[in-house]
Amino acid sequence: MLARLVRLAPLLRLSPGIACGLLCLACLVLASSNLVDAAGLLAGLQALFGSADAGMDTLVLHFSWWPRLMMSLLAGGGLALAGVLMQQVLRNPLAAPTTLGVASGANLSLMATTLMAPGLLVVGREWVALLGGGLAMGLVFALAWRRGLAPVVVVLGGLVVNLYLGALGIVLLLFNQQELKGLLIWGAGSLAQNDWGGVTFLAPRLALGALAAWLLLRPLAVLELDDASARSLGVSLRNLRLAGLGLAVFLTGCVVSVVGVIGFIGLAAPNIVRLAGARRLGPRLLWSTLLGALLLATTDQLLQRYSGQVSGLVPTGAVTATLGAPLLIWLIPRLKLRGDQPPAGATAPAGRHHAPLRLAGGLAIGLLAISVVALLVGQTAGGWSWQSPADWDVLQWRLPRVLASAGCGVMLALAGTLIQRVTANPMASPEVLGISGGSAIALILAIFLLPSPDNLTLVGIGTLGAMASLAILIIFNGRSGLLPERLLLTGVAITAAFDGVRAIVLAGGDPRGQQVIAWLSGSTYYVDLTSGLVVLGLALLLALASGPLARWLDILPLGAATSRALGLDLNRSRLLLLLLVALLTAAATLVVGPLSFVGLLAPHLARLLGFSRAGMHLLGAALSGALLMVLADWVGRQLLFPQEIPAGIVASLLGGAYFMWGLRRL
Amino acid sequence: MTLLTRSSPVRRPRPLVAGHALLFALAMAMLLSAPLAMAASPRIATLDWTLAETLQALGTPPAAVAQIEAYHDWVGEPRLPESVSDLGLRTQPNLELLADLDPDRILISPMFANLTPRLSRIAPVENFSLYSPGQDTWQEMRQLTRGVAAVVNRPEAAEALIADTETRLDELQRTLPDAVAPLLVVQFMDARHVRVFGDNGLYQAVMKRLGLENAWPGDTNAWGFSLVGLEELADLDARLVVVEPYPAGVRDALEQSGLWQGLKRQSQGEPLVLPPVWSFGALPSAQRFAEQLTTALETADAR
Repeated sequence: MLARLVRLAPLLRLSPGIACGLLCLACLVLASSNLVDAAGLLAGLQALFGSADAGMDTLVLHFSWWPRLMMSLLAGGGLALAGVLMQQVLRNPLAAPTTLGVASGANLSLMATTLMAPGLLVVGREWVALLGGGLAMGLVFALAWRRGLAPVVVVLGGLVVNLYLGALGIVLLLFNQQELKGLLIWGAGSLAQNDWGGVTFLAPRLALGALAAWLLLRPLAVLELDDASARSLGVSLRNLRLAGLGLAVFLTGCVVSVVGVIGFIGLAAPNIVRLAGARRLGPRLLWSTLLGALLLATTDQLLQRYSGQVSGLVPTGAVTATLGAPLLIWLIPRLKLRGDQPPAGATAPAGRHHAPLRLAGGLAIGLLAISVVALLVGQTAGGWSWQSPADWDVLQWRLPRVLASAGCGVMLALAGTLIQRVTANPMASPEVLGISGGSAIALILAIFLLPSPDNLTLVGIGTLGAMASLAILIIFNGRSGLLPERLLLTGVAITAAFDGVRAIVLAGGDPRGQQVIAWLSGSTYYVDLTSGLVVLGLALLLALASGPLARWLDILPLGAATSRALGLDLNRSRLLLLLLVALLTAAATLVVGPLSFVGLLAPHLARLLGFSRAGMHLLGAALSGALLMVLADWVGRQLLFPQEIPAGIVASLLGGAYFMWGLRRL
Repeated sequence: MTLLTRSSPVRRPRPLVAGHALLFALAMAMLLSAPLAMAASPRIATLDWTLAETLQALGTPPAAVAQIEAYHDWVGEPRLPESVSDLGLRTQPNLELLADLDPDRILISPMFANLTPRLSRIAPVENFSLYSPGQDTWQEMRQLTRGVAAVVNRPEAAEALIADTETRLDELQRTLPDAVAPLLVVQFMDARHVRVFGDNGLYQAVMKRLGLENAWPGDTNAWGFSLVGLEELADLDARLVVVEPYPAGVRDALEQSGLWQGLKRQSQGEPLVLPPVWSFGALPSAQRFAEQLTTALETADAR
């Protein structure tokens, strides 16, 4: 429906007003026909004001249908408004309301409260969620405070806080799936209502937020200028950013605390409005809010109309994320992006080490030492013990895991370094590119649709998924010359679809969800000796292959014009690098799952350590990635023995902690 | 550490506690706690709580089970003895530990089938399925009980358990009130969503056995439930049965919910509230659910 509307765009010379008008019409038609089916139009409208003594039909309309419609409008509007603010302050079209960790903070605080102090939930789960979201934001602000809340530092801080809290959340979920099954529904963003409580909680807060946004309109518009010009106008950039981001986080927190995580709207509505021709901040705020509200309401009405054919709950938030992805992919080539210039200050500055080779040598020795420890030291039923290197009975379980974690660490780190250098975007990572997301979607579907699949089938299907993602990336971006920003947006869309599929699958409460969580969390558990050796061999091979590409990586971040002037064939070099990234990511994902975040963290770790030229950066990232993964795998197996915490999670926690420390020090 | 092993190639460092001593201690503990049952039974490790529950009910406790603490929270009865080792997560049991414990057999359900190649390096693996779509659940429960009993060489224990359970359910059926309205069995996930239990699940199997009617007309997943919003329950003419636990805060939220109050008024009689029962269990869980349901129906009727 929506896709058809957008396709008409060139005929109608789509403006934001027309887009909203058409969507509004669609929403009205759908809503009234749903109402007619339920009780007849008149009775349905009366039910809005219906009293509690009425029949069950009226009761359902009054306490469920109407609040749900209101809620979808409010939530959609709030998220879109927050999205515009985020994108304005952070100057990044990839920014979404959840970029600063609000949703993961709220999620973690709800989980922790459920497990440790369920009494607090009686006081009000909205407040628990809001507090968690606020704390997450506070952490991000604290990390970026000394740099005056500069966009790139805020984005990096948000990213790492998101990962960190998300990883902690997965640990809780892994060990307490039964207790937390209700929160999985929240995580998928269900709009179902059974009284007016949520609407009366949200409406005044969103009204307040909208008022504040209107008051901030003029100062925020200054942020479209570069930092120097903005300062010359006498604006305190830090205070302005604090106000804008704080407001966006408040709006997001309110929505998320009531209905849970709803994907896509906050990212897409501002981009659609910009595409439809709204340039200035005022109109963008107004139209995005309207469009977001209508987009979510229309989707939800469509869902209510057609979800009856599927048994079980279809959570709206996750569905918008899943269905929104193709739309986003279709939109991206039409977005006006300033793709050919190097993004200002896109890489976090860090010191350069005077002798990078010696540093690399140190890392290699560290890697060797930690591998030996991981092989020989560990807990058994009787407690800690040292194994003899000849004791194959024990080593047969440990060796494959050490090999595989080292191999995956190298591959993900290389992929991350390549993609961050090619796109000159610090948010870029193999996970963000959508290749692991595509392979994860395929694997989840395989786990759920095939009767007890074996591991070989799963690997095959996962590879197919990764290939399909790569094909999408190339087909939809080939014509525009594989522009880095568009590639990333496409990847974000695929990743969003993956998040949606995952949320839908987990919300249903199927016991197989446990298996999905276990695999998603990035464990070396399923590796045997052959695959361990293959993974490590492949990693070394691809590492050698990426060495000669270092020159391209030094040049590409300088921007398209400079690169061409230096005689680089942009399309060919980007395609080749992309293929390499895809290969690295697919191989690693199939072993440790899609959420290890080593690909994101290792390049930054290497940079913080002082590796700066491309060749050295690759080497440093590969070594720190391998070190991080081997250490994480070992720590994860010992910490809660006999329970095993997946290496990917521990890697995010270890690497994330170092990363936050480094970020604060900048 | 590398230095140590290089300098003393003859005296290999040994584990602090030798595996054999531990096994011996474990076996002794079991012999003392259940001398008859252990006589000729192989040592069993299982990843699946339903199989653990069945093994325990057959009088042959398993040697190792995954996530024992969570088992006691969610399955509850029958409790596992202290001597049972914890294997870690059900989806990723600790293989090193499992190999160290060296069980004679490993029992799994199809959910863990992807681990088979790995587990069978440690001991022969047997896969038992329950709640297969299109099969009579009660019949499958009997088969599962007999299958598990065959593994531990106690076929007579299976017959006894089956006979006990079925006799008890027949007795319970006779004590039921004459006319019981169709029942709608739900479990709250949060204040807005419930699992509603229908075909192909434990609750349904027990209710069928007791001659009670289930009011849920819709589809269910392979585990006999469907996740729905509260509003989906509005059209149904039935008595509500709520299986505990309520998630934290949900009971209060429901007091405020106009829709839930309406559903309660519409229910054929005050909604029944039952203590938690493992909803994916086998015969022991089935009997517990039957006891609790009949007691609730009787007491509600007496009031």
